[in-house]
Amino acid sequence: MELRAIITGSKPVKILPSATASDALMSMMENKTDYLLIDRTAPNDAYGIITRWDLVAEAIACGRELANTPVLDLARKPLVVMNNLDLDIRWVARKMRNEGVSRIAVFDKDVFLGFVSDVDILRASVSKTRTKKGAEQ
Amino acid sequence: MTSTPLVLKDVVKTWELHSVGPEETVHAAMQEMLQKNCYTLLVPRKDKHDAYGIITKKDIVSKVIAEGKEPKKVKVREVMSKPLVILTDLTLDLRWVAKAMANSGVSTIAVFDKGDFYGYVTEACILEGVYNSLRRAKLEQGTEFVSC
Repeated sequence: MELRAIITGSKPVKILPSATASDALMSMMENKTDYLLIDRTAPNDAYGIITRWDLVAEAIACGRELANTPVLDLARKPLVVMNNLDLDIRWVARKMRNEGVSRIAVFDKDVFLGFVSDVDILRASVSKTRTKKGAEQ
Repeated sequence: MTSTPLVLKDVVKTWELHSVGPEETVHAAMQEMLQKNCYTLLVPRKDKHDAYGIITKKDIVSKVIAEGKEPKKVKVREVMSKPLVILTDLTLDLRWVAKAMANSGVSTIAVFDKGDFYGYVTEACILEGVYNSLRRAKLEQGTEFVSC
């Protein structure tokens, strides 16, 4: 199965780069999401991402005050991106492992198509096996 | 944050995790995860001398799919983490719970109280605890809670 088939196209919740870690936590909980896209300030700036793991491992574990910690200190910027939509999901999984992330941004040329997560890969892998079984029967 | 520090006991989840047998296939574990919408499964022990194991979505993505292995041909015991990362002090400050997670690179820690399984704590539990304490602090100050 290819990368193209597993893109869900869901719109990520955005947060301003000037926000603090406590703003990010509030926004994650209120929007019931585990990651936020950090908007760019200029057209030549990069997008960033902040996840639950960043808040736990980089801020709370280090005893930092969330209200005084800029979100950019914890974020991953620039994003890990992929642009070959015909790539097998095996290589998407390998990229996640190599980069140590659970979410990859997918672009088709300049167009942002959405994020692919580790759960999307599991779901695709299960449905691939099901389709193969159906075809055999 | 609040004046009384948050401790492990405030955020630990006491219900049990879903489980999957060590001899089951990774495909069965994936189906269980997707059906139950729970991406961490406990692997029970054989006897009291054995250790518990755990299998997460990350184990499956990085050790099975990324390696191009067939999930139906790989057993849970080949990719699970064993033994569990555990904490036993329920009065531990939340900061050190987060630090234990960061140090061992896991997102779920089992919690034991006096030798018995008490529950588990995940990164989501920690954030929920901090979020609730921030909300409480704002309400106590008398300011209306404004979303960001």
